[in-house]
Amino acid sequence: MPAAHTVTSYDDELRWLARRLSEMGGIGEGMVADAVTALVNADTGLAQRVISEDVLLDTAEREIYEKAVLVIAKRQPMASDLREIIGSIRIASDLERVGDLGKNIAKRVIAVHTMPQPKKLVRGLEHLAELALTQLKEVLDAFATRSPELANSIRERDEEIDAIYTSLFRELLTYMMEDPRNITACTHLLFCAKNIERIGDHATNIAETVYYVATGDQFASERPKDDDTVNVIATVPGV
Amino acid sequence: MMNMMRNEDLPQVQTRSKITAKNVQVFYGTTHAIKDLSIDIPDKNVTAFIGPSGCGKSTFLRCLNRMNDTISSCRVEGQIAIDGEDIYDPRVDPVQLRAKVGMVFQKPNPFPKSIYDNVAYGPKIHGLARNKAEIDAIVEGSLRKAALWNEVKDRLAAAGTGLSGGQQQRLCIARAIATSPEVLLMDEPCSALDPIATAQVEELIDELRSQFSVVIVTHSMQQAARVSQRTAMFHLGVIAEEGPTDKMFTNPDDKRTQDYITGRYG
Repeated sequence: MPAAHTVTSYDDELRWLARRLSEMGGIGEGMVADAVTALVNADTGLAQRVISEDVLLDTAEREIYEKAVLVIAKRQPMASDLREIIGSIRIASDLERVGDLGKNIAKRVIAVHTMPQPKKLVRGLEHLAELALTQLKEVLDAFATRSPELANSIRERDEEIDAIYTSLFRELLTYMMEDPRNITACTHLLFCAKNIERIGDHATNIAETVYYVATGDQFASERPKDDDTVNVIATVPGV
Repeated sequence: MMNMMRNEDLPQVQTRSKITAKNVQVFYGTTHAIKDLSIDIPDKNVTAFIGPSGCGKSTFLRCLNRMNDTISSCRVEGQIAIDGEDIYDPRVDPVQLRAKVGMVFQKPNPFPKSIYDNVAYGPKIHGLARNKAEIDAIVEGSLRKAALWNEVKDRLAAAGTGLSGGQQQRLCIARAIATSPEVLLMDEPCSALDPIATAQVEELIDELRSQFSVVIVTHSMQQAARVSQRTAMFHLGVIAEEGPTDKMFTNPDDKRTQDYITGRYG
């Protein structure tokens, strides 16, 4: 963090925004982790709790918006302060979306467990979620320390999530082709996988915002973002 | 809202340098106020000087039309050229120079004369008009450019000092541009004005820059960000950083600029 402002209440306001954002990050991480646990263990009670927590993120996002607008009106921030406040608004909105995606996974728990799940699929999903959660946790660290280097490494790693998502996508298609009775659960799992992949994208968005807040520059190159599933075609056996 | 967008809508026009300062030193007695300062000021642009009190921005501004000549303890060294001509050359007449380089001060200071005479005075003493009709035309044109004509056209004989503060400042701007200057220097022109009068003067500055090179000293960071295309940050008699205004206020390179514009200075 740069040196203190002459007006100390200005620093208090900026600290409030940073603290509220890290609280949002903590809630979002917890929701996603719990939603995946609920999915793996068919724990509808835990799923219900995740669904009910979403309102916390909605409230926090609204509070951050209002505070940021007030600080802009009162302080007319410049340079790094201005970037930080605009960054806070953007990150709050990414974290709110992370919460929505976690909630959506939780909502699918009941539908997915109408039939038994192949262990391998669930493990694949768990692995995907671990990666996305690591990204989310590290990007929140990058924000707390304003580290452009960490932000950059997070952005680079998003490719890994995309690759695992693509392979899960293929597997789910295979299961559906093997037995049409798998279609309901597998389709829900497909959405869950997509949600987790999207959480990784939000972590990448946050990394880009952190980089801009810290340096005043945008990332130089296009982000490595390829959804390879757009090219996946299911070949039905015997056709 | 349109006013706020001006900077982006009309990006800095790339033009040649109007003013070139090289290795300028200014001393007040033994105080070294400006230290080896060099800067190019472009034509048809607004350049803002910002920086904490006592950093030398007003002193340097006053060098640009030799206002410091009137202070006996003040000594200016180095070179300042307008259109390539050294303004400190002994052959240059400071009075002629000041007709070419107009100045507007912090406090509106109209002459204790009529509105008409305030504007007509400069063109008269510089012999810029041959007859009454030509002076009338200059007075009207200058008052129109200063966005004051409609408010005063029916009372040109009234005292300039009877106008409101914002109107007085626009009268001073009309007076400064009546001699058809090429450069307009403004030393905190809005610091004594309310927000509405400030907005009118800022609108005016934006219009004037199509014809003049405008240099403005301001303590309002927001004003510098709004009206200028280039900004120079002064600090302890040197320029800490100088560059495009858009960059200076979002991502400055120099820590002194960063600290000053974000309110962390001192």
